[in-house]
Amino acid sequence: MSDVQPLLEIKNVTTQFVQRRGMFARENRVLRAVDDVSLHVGASETLGLVGESGCGKSTLGRTVLRLIDPSAGQIKFEGRDIVPLTQRQLRPLRSRMQIIFQDPYGSLNPRMSVRATLLEAMRVHGGQRTAAEERSALLDLLERVGLRPEALERYPHEFSGGQRQRVGIARALSVRPRFIVADEPVSALDLSIQAQIVNLLMDLQADLGVSYLFIAHDLKLVEHVSQRVAVMYLGRIVELMPRERLEHSLHPYTKALRSAVPEIDPAKRKLRVLLTGEPPSPLNPPTGCAFHPRCAIAQKGLCEVSRPELRELAPGHFVACHLAG
Amino acid sequence: MTHLLEVRDLHTRFQTQAGPVRPVDGVSFDLRAGGTLGVVGESGSGKTMTALSILRLLPAGAGRIESGQIQFAGRELSTLPEREMRALRGKHIAMVFQEPMTSLNPVYSVARQIGEVLWLHEGMNKRAARARSIELLRVVGISDPERRVDAYPHELSGGMRQRVMIAMAIACSPQLLIADEPTTALDVTIQAQILELLARLRRELGMAVLLITHDLGVVAEFAEEVLVMYAGTVVERAPASALFAAPQHPYTQGLLASAPARQAGKRRLATIAGMVPDLAHLPGGCRFRERCVRAVARCSELEPPLLDSGEGRKVACFVAMAELTGRPL
Repeated sequence: MSDVQPLLEIKNVTTQFVQRRGMFARENRVLRAVDDVSLHVGASETLGLVGESGCGKSTLGRTVLRLIDPSAGQIKFEGRDIVPLTQRQLRPLRSRMQIIFQDPYGSLNPRMSVRATLLEAMRVHGGQRTAAEERSALLDLLERVGLRPEALERYPHEFSGGQRQRVGIARALSVRPRFIVADEPVSALDLSIQAQIVNLLMDLQADLGVSYLFIAHDLKLVEHVSQRVAVMYLGRIVELMPRERLEHSLHPYTKALRSAVPEIDPAKRKLRVLLTGEPPSPLNPPTGCAFHPRCAIAQKGLCEVSRPELRELAPGHFVACHLAG
Repeated sequence: MTHLLEVRDLHTRFQTQAGPVRPVDGVSFDLRAGGTLGVVGESGSGKTMTALSILRLLPAGAGRIESGQIQFAGRELSTLPEREMRALRGKHIAMVFQEPMTSLNPVYSVARQIGEVLWLHEGMNKRAARARSIELLRVVGISDPERRVDAYPHELSGGMRQRVMIAMAIACSPQLLIADEPTTALDVTIQAQILELLARLRRELGMAVLLITHDLGVVAEFAEEVLVMYAGTVVERAPASALFAAPQHPYTQGLLASAPARQAGKRRLATIAGMVPDLAHLPGGCRFRERCVRAVARCSELEPPLLDSGEGRKVACFVAMAELTGRPL
């Protein structure tokens, strides 16, 4: 895959927010939500992105779509850097990169029927279509996401959570995207419905060849859907690996994360590495390795002083830890 | 063995625009002193309404206990006067909810909120309550408790707020702790800390815990016994290890099969077709039959009762019972 050009390639992307304090803004505080991140997503590939709340994974997802502007770095989509583009220049690209949100209820217009929602997206991004063509395109979409034709005349509140997420997916698909950021797409859904939506997303990839940046806090889910998994901590990627390597993860944070997941099967239960404390504030990140205050193996004089960069310790397996490997 | 808590044929009734519904519809279970019972189910299964019924905290005006018994330490709670119920809540039965931010009062300091419990139930004066509050914060693993005791809820992280809720809950050494999705809003590393804390407190204080969750992994690790609920009824009850090793009800089987962890290497997840039925329009017979791959004609005629299926287990399914007992349907 490395010899072909990836669909999305980001280099050294940093996204920061400035918090103004006080009327004269003398004490602006900078929150670096995404800190020098480089990643790529191949065609028809799913890159999983895991991390705990506040680690910057959602900000990264929005940044690669330029829903939030990065403060530094390159975002190449289909080979072209989209960072310098104006919103107007971005518009034709928008149809090829879409997003699915966690809460479809919050992201669908409650006053628009499914028909109106889907048509709006299709008309903004698509070319001219006759009424008959539109109708058949709508019915195709519904069938693809597993909704019945009657759904067209319904409003968001008339659906269950799982069905609403299907509507959200239909809207994203209506413009025939090549790349979709799926930001916690199933975490608001019941377990039996989660599996339905996960299968749908995977079927769509098999049929249409879309790529996903799949953002979730659920490590097992990410492991299931992704070809590669990136683990984020306080704005930085601390480990990136093919999914088969997750079992042999090398970063102490990834290991702790894996061991913290409650296990149904007693035989698979791992010795728990109980992390002490909580993730630090990104407004005031620790020096050196951001994970060192919670890390069981941190070495004094090293980890709090120098920040580890990602190193490739096995083919395709990158770890940002001085002591790994 | 006497039980600390015995719930018998509990029904709650809610008035909705679509007509009356029963979110809890014939639930029975018991919990021994010092035991742990996990209640699992998806949204609308009635697990939270069961807990709120026991606490007599059903939303006023909208819902009420229609019939059934709730025996707690020899007293019948369903008909207890509100004044006596208030004396019981927080002292003998404590609770922890999912979202500590909404259960803590934002305008009072931690000291004041824990102190209120101690003053109300233990008659402590201000100075003693403050000292005990600091002690309790230390017990639940909050560092620097002398300083944190004066913090306000918004100054604490989600994990820390949940620790404060737990400190309030254990302030009077209750016999029963009802924890409703206590870790759902927390990150997984913090969840592990909180579950560890609850397990330790349970051992040390000898309190029984009723843990309500949608997370099968959490229940598998925490509870000795598990109750599986679906659409207001109990469909299966078993010791946790037995349940997860060999689920008997088709719904439990489907739930376990749809968890990604169980299917490593398999690309498509097993699913349960359809969705939870609308309580106002329940299908006749078994409530799960429309989604059930094993349903037979009988399932639409009668509602299967929860029956002993051997080895201390119970299941509410005609097909499973026929298989397990070898008797015809």
